[in-house]
Amino acid sequence: MRFSSIVRLYRVRLRARLTQELFAVLGIAIGVALLFASQVANTSLDSSVQRLSTGIVGDMRFQISARDSHGFDESLLREVARVPGVQVVAPVFEQNANVVGPTGERSVDVVGTDPRLARLGGSIARHLNDLRLGGARVFTMPAAIAQDIGVASIRSVLVQIGSRQTRVLLVPQLLVGSTASLGQSPIALAPLRTVQGLAGTPGRLTSIYVRSPPRLDRSVLAALRRIAAGRLNVGHADMTTTLFRRAAGPVDQSTGLFSALSALVGFLFAFNALMLTVPQRRSLIEDLRLDGYTRRMIVQVLSLDAIVLGVIASALGLLLGEVLSVALFNSSPGYLSFAFPIGAERVVTWRSVAFAVLGGMIAATAGVLLPLQAAIAERPVRSTPLRVSARRRARLLLPAAGAFFAGTTVILLAAPQAAIVGVVSLTAALLLCLPTLLDFAVRVGGRLQRRLAGAASYLALIELRSRTHRARSLAIAATGAIAVFGSVSIQGARGNLQRGLEASTRGTDSRAGLWVLPRGKANALVTTPFSDVDRARLGRLPGVRTVQLYRGSFLDWGTRRIWVLAQPQADLHPISSIQLVKGDLRVTNARLHAGGWLVLSQAVAAEHHLHIGESFTLPTTVPTRFRLAALSTNLGWPTGALIMNASDYARAWGDQDPSAYQLELSPGASLVAVKREAEGVVGGLGMRVETAAQRERLHYAQAAQGLSRLTQIRTLVVIAAVLAMAAAMGAMIWQRRVRLADMKVDGFSRAVLWRALLWESTILLGTGCALGAIFGLYGQLLLTRALSVVTGFPVIESTPLLAAVGSFALITAVAVLIVAAPGYVAARVRPTVGMPE
Amino acid sequence: MLELRELVKHFPAASGAPIRAVDGVTLAVPDGEFVALYGPSGSGKTTLLMLIAALMRPDSGSIVLNECDISKLSDADSARYRLNELGFVRQTLNLITGASALDNAALKLMGTDMGAREARRRIVPLLDRLGLGERVSHRAEQLSMGERQRVMIARALSTEPKLLLADEPTGSLDSMRGREVLELLAETCRERKVAVLLVTHDPQAASFADRVFALRDGRLAEHEPDHLSAALKAG
Repeated sequence: MRFSSIVRLYRVRLRARLTQELFAVLGIAIGVALLFASQVANTSLDSSVQRLSTGIVGDMRFQISARDSHGFDESLLREVARVPGVQVVAPVFEQNANVVGPTGERSVDVVGTDPRLARLGGSIARHLNDLRLGGARVFTMPAAIAQDIGVASIRSVLVQIGSRQTRVLLVPQLLVGSTASLGQSPIALAPLRTVQGLAGTPGRLTSIYVRSPPRLDRSVLAALRRIAAGRLNVGHADMTTTLFRRAAGPVDQSTGLFSALSALVGFLFAFNALMLTVPQRRSLIEDLRLDGYTRRMIVQVLSLDAIVLGVIASALGLLLGEVLSVALFNSSPGYLSFAFPIGAERVVTWRSVAFAVLGGMIAATAGVLLPLQAAIAERPVRSTPLRVSARRRARLLLPAAGAFFAGTTVILLAAPQAAIVGVVSLTAALLLCLPTLLDFAVRVGGRLQRRLAGAASYLALIELRSRTHRARSLAIAATGAIAVFGSVSIQGARGNLQRGLEASTRGTDSRAGLWVLPRGKANALVTTPFSDVDRARLGRLPGVRTVQLYRGSFLDWGTRRIWVLAQPQADLHPISSIQLVKGDLRVTNARLHAGGWLVLSQAVAAEHHLHIGESFTLPTTVPTRFRLAALSTNLGWPTGALIMNASDYARAWGDQDPSAYQLELSPGASLVAVKREAEGVVGGLGMRVETAAQRERLHYAQAAQGLSRLTQIRTLVVIAAVLAMAAAMGAMIWQRRVRLADMKVDGFSRAVLWRALLWESTILLGTGCALGAIFGLYGQLLLTRALSVVTGFPVIESTPLLAAVGSFALITAVAVLIVAAPGYVAARVRPTVGMPE
Repeated sequence: MLELRELVKHFPAASGAPIRAVDGVTLAVPDGEFVALYGPSGSGKTTLLMLIAALMRPDSGSIVLNECDISKLSDADSARYRLNELGFVRQTLNLITGASALDNAALKLMGTDMGAREARRRIVPLLDRLGLGERVSHRAEQLSMGERQRVMIARALSTEPKLLLADEPTGSLDSMRGREVLELLAETCRERKVAVLLVTHDPQAASFADRVFALRDGRLAEHEPDHLSAALKAG
């Protein structure tokens, strides 16, 4: 068959189904858009960190890095340079800093290095060569970030590292390299000595980057490990990217999972639209086959349908996805920026585009070919379709649904890490239950109808019993079911997670009335150390009973960057029950207070095969042996947390500097007054004073921001589903005008016909949505368990019955209300419409 | 020349005894001859057409068209046979709404190796011959039932088949339009030397044929002319 004939046939048929085709385009486009936007959001995070890392370290192969911000002595540089095979070594001193400009302040990662990295490192590091301003203290950062704090050209700004504040000349630059751009990355570059001076730690380094021939990787790595002597981390030069990927994993997974769910709704949207044209297309296929078209020719004809549909829908989907990713999915999970320099630039890779387009093409192909599978495969003889009774159908489908449900339960109980498989299995169970539930609803409706004896409900039930529109009715109900299922699952899991995070946060923040800590948004987890110089003055303030030292930082252990929380040793309850996963609360608190014990997140302990009571060496600056007191959640930090007492921390890190002062107030003292007094003492030193309530609010906001993408996806799922159902129902009703006209000839009034259409819509959509709500409750349990067990997030499990009923009622009501309009217009059809002229 | 030799097709029945839809039919239809199979519903007419169209296989016997045994064709060869050697006019008028008479009639030609433009060019004289010259660009829904049926005949004849099967082609038309369509069908096929096998339960339709056979319980019998006249009078 010639291509021109296939194209002609496509054009000939298009006019008859243009509206339905547009619905299908829209449905697939929505799915493609959601997939694309979530892909872009995820790859942007990854790529931002990776490009930054590459832009600075270039083709360096390895790095030795310190386990705390104080770093190690730079004499190690000479030792590393002497390793056989090492061609270049470049020193780096990296600190979290708060830069205060005329109109605001920003937390940035200040990277100090010397001409070696500037000359041989990544394309961005080379900008350091431009910073030769006659020995003045000078640093550079992306112009866009500098603009945020009111710096448009070279000018002096205040840089705070810990409690140290220094005025430095800031040179805003575009910082564009050959392969990367630092346009929106919160990073600053400065000469090594400048950063050492800013931190007050001359002669210290936090990392050494090494270039060596790849063939000597093994021997160089071994030599570096010998030099590190277990006190420093040794790894590949782009270790930061690896650590980040691990940390961003849960965000990527959850976004991916929920995007897949929304793509499924988009596909059902398209499927509904395509179902509208199935009778015509099936009849055409049968005709063409009688005329001698072979299966291959039919598939060629339909393939063009699928290709045109897929290409147009994918193109539109990419456009919509672009808008979505700019307008909605652009916010990065803020909490990750506390430990990684995440930029705000959007990175669109060919993989994101290819993945979304592939999804669109698969949806189009399946949507076009699947409903016509039988018509294509069977011999071209018109035959009465095999009628299967409702009871027989139930006997076939329900055991299969039960098997999928059992599979989901096994996953829930034994392998929550396979949550994605569980969700797919639960969706399959839902879809298999739907036909039986719909039959049941029609049967119950029939019994009620006999009592109500209304003509409208009678007509509605006749339509629902009709086999002609069975597939289409099921597709519409399935859309509702999936939408409510997705909505309840996502919302339930999100709610459980948020409640868990808030409770965990309360457990940490409420340990002191007032917290005194270095300024800067990046220090929200209290991980920046400062010199302990003001404790005595704070302790003498009226209303202050005690001043305790809190210590915290991040520790890179394997591929995880772990959050370390070291509560003051005097704290008798350093851990709360919501944070504990395994272990006795009273015993654990006593052990932490006594020292020599620590609590690890369950996932971290499992990765290192550690059990409660076991002794092990923690890879800190001064590797120290500890015993595992209990297992905790990850306290909201994706890669896990470690809780110990502050004295043990000082010993293991060889560092007495605190990260915060915890002020305990005397009974009756005014919180506001003491806060004001404390600010008077430390305010000029780059420190801030926060009440426990302020810290809780800050952390709640961060938790909500981290979960906001889930809420956005849920909203999009609901909107897409309501539109899908309303459009499909509307089109189905519209196509029925001739039959409605016939009924008018038989004497049915407009009001009866309209009520009949509303009854039918309500039963169909209500059944689907109700089943979705029931399965959604199970789905949220599965997702909550996965988040809890796999990622270790603190969660508080609950059964969101109200949310489920709410989603069910809202989606059903909105869809029925939307359907009411075309129903009303269709019911006004002239009785003569169906009559021959 | 179409030859049916001892053709048998039985279907299993719930009651046990098989339904003998076609039971030992033997028939020869030379090129250009118009033959009608006349019989009531359930007499096996449509099954016989299905067998000749290679849409199902006979239990025994053979169907030979110009020395080629149709009953032994593979699925792909059957399709090729229907496309190039056979025309099939159905009772149901499945035209594509929104598409013109021209495009609907050219649908079968598009399945051949001919390009779309050539197919549309080739179908115009045939539509003209069938009296649709003025209506070629009208959409399917703008055509009368008789015109729609003529479009279907044009489609069936478009690939210049040797045999045309017509299954109750006037079933959805009134008697006057039915007669018009049948006259055209008979004339066009005679001009083109196309053998026609018409199945119908309408005696008036059967009266257009050169020969009429009665089909009852799957068995064929030459129809007595006076029986047909009586049926016509009764109708």
